[in-house]
Amino acid sequence: MSRRTYLIKRVFQAILSLWIIATILFFLFRMGLPDPTAALITEGLNPEQREAVRAQFGLDQPVWQQYFLFLSNAVQGEFGTSFSYRAPVAGIVWERLANTMILMLAAIVLAYGIGVPLGAWLSWRRGSRVDTAGIFVGLMFRSAPMFWTGMIAILIFGVTLSLMPTSGMRTLPYDAVGFWDKVLTLDFLWHAVLPVMIVALYYLGSPLLIMRNTMLEVYGEDFIEMARAKGLPERDILYKHAARNALLPVVTQLAVTIGLAAGGQVVVEVVFSWPGLGREILNAVRTSDFPLAQASFLIMAAFVITLNLFVDILYTTLDPRVSFR
Amino acid sequence: MKTKALRFGAALATVLPLSAPVLAQERVPSVEIMTTTEAYDPIRYEGAFIVAEAWRELGLDVTVSPLEFRTLLDRFYSEQDFDAVILGWSGRVDRLDPQFFLGTLDGRQAGLGANNPGGYQNPEYDELYDAQSREFDIERRRDIVHEMQELYMPDVPVVILFHRDEVVAYNNTTFTNMNAMAGEGLYSEWVPMEAEPVGDRRTLRIGGPQEPDNVNPLASTSVWGWKWMRLYYDRLVRLSPDVEPVPWAAETVEAVDEVTIDVTLREGMLWHDGEPMTAEDVAFTFDYYMASEYSYFNSYLAPVASVEATGALSVRFNLSEPSAPFATIALSQIPILPKHIWEEIENPGDLTPDQIPTVGSGPFVFDRYDRGEFMSLTTNRDHFHEGEIAVDGVEFVIYADAEGVFTALQTGQIDMTAWRMEPGQIPLAEGNDDLTVVSVPDFGYFHMTFNTRRAPFDDVAARRALTYAMDRGRMVNVLLDGRGEVGTTVIAPVNAFWHNPFVERFDFDMDAARQELENAGYSWDAEGRLVR
Repeated sequence: MSRRTYLIKRVFQAILSLWIIATILFFLFRMGLPDPTAALITEGLNPEQREAVRAQFGLDQPVWQQYFLFLSNAVQGEFGTSFSYRAPVAGIVWERLANTMILMLAAIVLAYGIGVPLGAWLSWRRGSRVDTAGIFVGLMFRSAPMFWTGMIAILIFGVTLSLMPTSGMRTLPYDAVGFWDKVLTLDFLWHAVLPVMIVALYYLGSPLLIMRNTMLEVYGEDFIEMARAKGLPERDILYKHAARNALLPVVTQLAVTIGLAAGGQVVVEVVFSWPGLGREILNAVRTSDFPLAQASFLIMAAFVITLNLFVDILYTTLDPRVSFR
Repeated sequence: MKTKALRFGAALATVLPLSAPVLAQERVPSVEIMTTTEAYDPIRYEGAFIVAEAWRELGLDVTVSPLEFRTLLDRFYSEQDFDAVILGWSGRVDRLDPQFFLGTLDGRQAGLGANNPGGYQNPEYDELYDAQSREFDIERRRDIVHEMQELYMPDVPVVILFHRDEVVAYNNTTFTNMNAMAGEGLYSEWVPMEAEPVGDRRTLRIGGPQEPDNVNPLASTSVWGWKWMRLYYDRLVRLSPDVEPVPWAAETVEAVDEVTIDVTLREGMLWHDGEPMTAEDVAFTFDYYMASEYSYFNSYLAPVASVEATGALSVRFNLSEPSAPFATIALSQIPILPKHIWEEIENPGDLTPDQIPTVGSGPFVFDRYDRGEFMSLTTNRDHFHEGEIAVDGVEFVIYADAEGVFTALQTGQIDMTAWRMEPGQIPLAEGNDDLTVVSVPDFGYFHMTFNTRRAPFDDVAARRALTYAMDRGRMVNVLLDGRGEVGTTVIAPVNAFWHNPFVERFDFDMDAARQELENAGYSWDAEGRLVR
């Protein structure tokens, strides 16, 4: 199979998966979540008034009609109007997604930037005290719930030491023209330190352990012995020969992590009052804001699917042994 | 008289099966108590178990079903598919007028989706309900309202479990003269106007986990939208901190007769864009609301037939029927909108956030709203009330949860909480010298409503007995940590003018409960299960 046919086939599969997910989302929310006007009762609205609101939301139309409208709009990148905000969903989601991604990507880069070389190094020192300590720390932060580590961090650095800001992305109020104007400031960096550290520490465990364990497997391979026989320095064997071959599983893990990052770490966003997509999704589901919930989940799904596709293609470059079949 | 007839009827119904020959008594059907999930509200969740425990002691088969909040609302209001439900009504200022809470027992509001899901029917009560709504003489209206409470209480269609105090806190090193208001806590419309800075910062910073759904006065359906908007829109009347209606944008409000109300506006009021505010604006606003699809104010607007500007500063309201709450409630809730801005907007409900006009005439001027993060207002130095306002502006910082709000309060990032604190935070706040904790009684309530269409709750005696078996004192002492009050009628004791303290009480008494059941012909089988 040629590279081109393979690509076309994979892209087609991706679109099919997206359509299936969109359909499931649409019906799942309508079946699983209560009527979005239910909460208005506590505001004292009577049945006719609620009916009027339903009509305003377009919920009085037959479900299949709503479904086709949703699909045709989604194809054009239109996700309708949020029930509660009365604002176009697309704008809200993209802004929140950017806030989430900057936090998550910073944390992921940090975690993998440290985790991968550290994992390789630990495997080289396997069995030593450093190795045990490294595994312990990685596992500990991987298993400690982030709301707890986050709250402890706020308590120590924010409340007791008064060193760090405890919430938000910037000191309020601030004026920013667009996203980059908002984040390319020292003030943003200052606010990002704690949440990024908390997420990074959580993520650190995966690349660290995967790298370490894969490296141990690679050490048993013939080409390592060959390299040793050639008298190469241990450092070169480690980083140039073994590490490269051990990267594949880490790359897979990285892609999955980035893909899921779109949904954010709700817990961290809540603990640090970070205005990200995760918090928004939580609110959307709580208030039965169908358009907002659908769009958020669909974008998350698109992220995961795209990244998987990307990784599959990347594999062929990283490892020539993987062929198009 | 009617109540006696009703009880007599119930007694008859219980006697009849007994007199039938050899008819074995049947077990009373098992009941399901629906409540919130523990995560949503641990108090209502635990409360359900306190009730269930005592009811089981009476020989009833009881299950407790915690439901996700909106599902619970749906089952209760939209489907009326329940035996007994624990829910609550929030005490919004406009509900201090007895109209709304009394309406929750109005037999004509028992349809699907309406406010009387328990289906209580009492024609005499409904007649009095109409009478009080027409009665302009406030003393006479109070007498009717008192009579209604006395009338329904022996039937217990609903049990008011408790009124929960709102516990909020402010930073006493930054602001003083912070007077909490019943039902509103500190985030009332008066606190920003009364607060006096004692520190360097002259803008009052409020922090809360809730934000407006939107700030479109023709689309917002949340309390949090209106709590903010009322600071920059004026109303004709405002309710004082003691909940007296005081003329605000209106100089005078005068009832010409039962269905005609004349309002004269203050002289010299300006919109925030410098245009003068006139009677035309008032008439336009009411017409605009009545013509719009926005239904949030419909119940307030229902009695209005027409509104006309009769002079530059005088407006006449023609009502279709006499309505006692109109002058206090409707006039204190409807914001006045500038005609010259809104008259050109055809579908106001469809405005996107950047298109929504924010020009009001209120004591504060809209400055900015950054969704999910921050809102701010500046003080309107052209406003007639300006001389009384010490702050330069009001800011609202939005946090993700109560934990974030409390951290901000502790670290001095905000001056006061907009919403109640979590139980665990209260002792921490009390132990902090910089913080003042305020406990405000609420006139909203948590209730258990019986479905009076279903056995065993279709029987007055059973309802009375099961009410005796509710240890509401324990709920207040244990679940609320003493910060609240056991309920009596739908009108809370703190709403002293309308509350009737001389009604039948159902203090916790298991013997009285058993006695009530025995008198009505219930007994217990060999396994201790309740039968009739």
